[in-house]
Amino acid sequence: MADAEERQSLLGDEDGVSFSGRRNAGEPGRPMSAICDPSHLLHRIVVLLFMCFLGFGSYFCYDNPAALQTQVIQDMKLNTAQFMQLYAWYSWPNVILCFLGGFLLDRVFGIRLGTVIFSLFVCVGQVIFAAGALLDRFWLMEVGRFVFGIGGESLAVAQNTYAVNWFKGKELNLVFGLQLSMARLGSTVNMNIMGWVYNRIASLVGSPGYTTLGVSLMIAAVTCLFSLVCALVLGFLDKRAEKILHKDQGKTGEVIKLTDVKDFPFPLWLIFIICVGYYVAIFPFIGLGQVFFIEKFNFSPAEARAINSIVYIISAPASPILGFMVDKTGKNVIWVLCAVVSTLAAHMMLAFTFWNPWIAMSLLGVSYSLLACALWPMVAFVVPEHQLGTAYGFMQSIQNLGLALIAMAAGSILDNRGYLFLEVFFSACVCIALIAVVMLYFVDYLRGGDLNLSAADRARLQKEATSDSEIYKHPNQQTERGLARLKPMSAFGLRNRYLSRLGAQLPDHCSSHLSSLAHRSVLK
Amino acid sequence: MFLSFRSSAGFIGSGDTYRRKLSVELNPGLNSSVSPLPPGVDLLHIRALGKSDTLHFLFCNQGAPTLLLLHTNTTSSTIQVDWPAFLARNTTGSLRVEPESSVLYSSAVVLTRLWEYDDVNNTADPEKVPPSSFLPPYQLQNFTWTGLNNKTLDPAGHTAQLCGGDASPSFANGSLCLQFSAFETEGRDQGWPSLLHNANSSQIRVWLDGLLPRANRSRFSLELQAVGGPYPLGRVEEIRSIDDEYTPSIFQVSQWVSSPSNSSSVVLGFVQWKPVAYRRAKPVFEDATPCHHTASVPLGQAAPASGLVRAFYGSKPSTTGLNVSFGIAGDPFYAMTNYLSWTMLVGLGHPPVDTFSPLVLSIMAVGLGTPMILILLGGICVCSRKRATPQSQAYEPIN
Repeated sequence: MADAEERQSLLGDEDGVSFSGRRNAGEPGRPMSAICDPSHLLHRIVVLLFMCFLGFGSYFCYDNPAALQTQVIQDMKLNTAQFMQLYAWYSWPNVILCFLGGFLLDRVFGIRLGTVIFSLFVCVGQVIFAAGALLDRFWLMEVGRFVFGIGGESLAVAQNTYAVNWFKGKELNLVFGLQLSMARLGSTVNMNIMGWVYNRIASLVGSPGYTTLGVSLMIAAVTCLFSLVCALVLGFLDKRAEKILHKDQGKTGEVIKLTDVKDFPFPLWLIFIICVGYYVAIFPFIGLGQVFFIEKFNFSPAEARAINSIVYIISAPASPILGFMVDKTGKNVIWVLCAVVSTLAAHMMLAFTFWNPWIAMSLLGVSYSLLACALWPMVAFVVPEHQLGTAYGFMQSIQNLGLALIAMAAGSILDNRGYLFLEVFFSACVCIALIAVVMLYFVDYLRGGDLNLSAADRARLQKEATSDSEIYKHPNQQTERGLARLKPMSAFGLRNRYLSRLGAQLPDHCSSHLSSLAHRSVLK
Repeated sequence: MFLSFRSSAGFIGSGDTYRRKLSVELNPGLNSSVSPLPPGVDLLHIRALGKSDTLHFLFCNQGAPTLLLLHTNTTSSTIQVDWPAFLARNTTGSLRVEPESSVLYSSAVVLTRLWEYDDVNNTADPEKVPPSSFLPPYQLQNFTWTGLNNKTLDPAGHTAQLCGGDASPSFANGSLCLQFSAFETEGRDQGWPSLLHNANSSQIRVWLDGLLPRANRSRFSLELQAVGGPYPLGRVEEIRSIDDEYTPSIFQVSQWVSSPSNSSSVVLGFVQWKPVAYRRAKPVFEDATPCHHTASVPLGQAAPASGLVRAFYGSKPSTTGLNVSFGIAGDPFYAMTNYLSWTMLVGLGHPPVDTFSPLVLSIMAVGLGTPMILILLGGICVCSRKRATPQSQAYEPIN
């Protein structure tokens, strides 16, 4: 195979720089099979497979505490507030790393080495976490979660950057959808399997205890090892593709300038509040959900785990469908309002009634997917493209800060006041998000209504804007977007800035919200 | 759905501000001319005066500890004790209410036995455990008690505490304690389970402190018997409650009630408890262990071995009984902390219904009300804006 590569590079690179959408490799004299040709679809599907499994381990192990809540609390002799520290410690490093992730991947490590390093962090973190359980040292488990957190979120950025690098245009939607589904699959499998694994280990070891817990968590670490192998394979394949196709290493292309924060418009701050207020009522709730369903609704542990995972199960197919719907109809603020109101209804149902919780949790799953599809693209409508990196970084940073603080608060509320008060607290958080959405709607309406345009209106505005602009060439230096920012703003860049200020939908190949999706993990 | 609405509506209940005036009396009518009571045995009488009725609480540990509740329709009823006959324990009628005809309702709750069983399969279900796992029960009538003196009796707070045990080595460093409290008005105890009481109820808290278990996997179960006049406590209702603010993770209330035979919606008297016991004196969330109970079983006319029941009801009262067992499958055993505590309310009329705390109500009101107000204000703003500036037509392109 090495001979073939050398011969091919000696033949010259008439494949060109871009490799978008070339389907056939049937040129005579090409010795590589379809599956080994980086420009062929089959090879890219293989790469896609590895890309999807890259994040599997991280998402599998993120919710390990929730799947084993009773066991962790009993074996390590904790109270709920201490248990929730396991989630808080995951979020703390990401308050800072959201800003640094892109920088580290672009400038310091490069995408390939960076992915391997972050996978290593995920793996080592989970092993330390399991070791802490084996040795009956809770502080070691917290350290493990901290290290795991350093790798987890940045790995998602790397995964998305790989996707943008290997796939273009319409394929990108599908790829993101698949990555999201794989992530959700990881969470779901974790919720439903870990309890069974623990019981089997308990019967092997003899009795439940911290040893059983440690062994179960070590078994979970195997998935992280698997992700590490995927990262290594991806690095190898990417390097090989770079040699064959002479393309550059992918870049996140994101520029973070913290001084831009003072320029953020008021609607953006409202969007931040919605983001924080909403997500702190979802993830800590899922973290504590299993015991809630066991105690209040008399579910068996297996049933309780199943219903706890329904949010993830639903969001896997619902996200692409709802994303398509939101893209087609526009009116993002109305969709966010619907999502927030239905989440509030779901929490109140769980708090104040004994109605079958499957209804409330399914509603929660659908509204969670709807919000993710409607909220994150709104940032691109309010903020010019050169500030998008900072805006998304800031949004994720305060989201993680909120998650860390609220996880601890939720644990201690439960310890002192019980589940009703906890649900009322979560409802209050969603009410804060609701207040922000209502204010966003009116502020946007009174300012001209850019955010809540329907897709048709947006397309019309875009046509009017581009009809009297020059036609520009297809930018085939897509991957050098990052470098482009270091040069003075080109006509192309200026035009994009103008269009994003209008809230117009940018053309597909430089769709800013898609590229921002590439830089940011939309999976949260 | 209707039931859930009904129970939620009950939560926004009106406060019960009915007050009773309490007075505490120890061993009423006992003077030095009568032979003294055996050591540790006392009769506590708490008189709760209402506007036009009186509730008498009599708490005595001669024999098995008993609480006798008497409701009379006059404010001047008194308790007469024929002490020599009471102490002899072989005649009836040694405890009377003057005037006899004023008694509207009477009921007695007796704590008769403490059962211990070896839960080899960790199922925590005494009905499924083989009889051979049951150890000989502790008969509370054979216990020796510390007396009610000024350390254990608090007249101002209307509480009395008794601790006791029998001669077996398990009680060498431990005891079974009871705390009886009566209340003037509606309120809640500070410690869990923070049962809501009103002026018509009293509270008994039972706890095992330091008692040594006799098996590796011991669990305990308490046997209660109830004696009543025409209508003893007959059926146990389990009510689901959405409020677990005061007993985190417990969403049920159990009530052992007595109703007249012709209508089951009228409740004459009750024993109410939350199905939870705590494994520590100052419990945290993880120290809660749920309880189960058996159905209420009629025991015919076999009177419990209680001096108070014999004195008031005679030797052939109609008796019912049930067992409350502590722990569920998979819970830690008693030996983990050597402590177990459980609380029940005994009272007259309808059992108190839990309500939301003001904090929860205010959070929901603010949380839901603010967006509504904002929508209203925003709508007004938008309407006034529309009316103030006429809609400017966007110029259509000419071509």
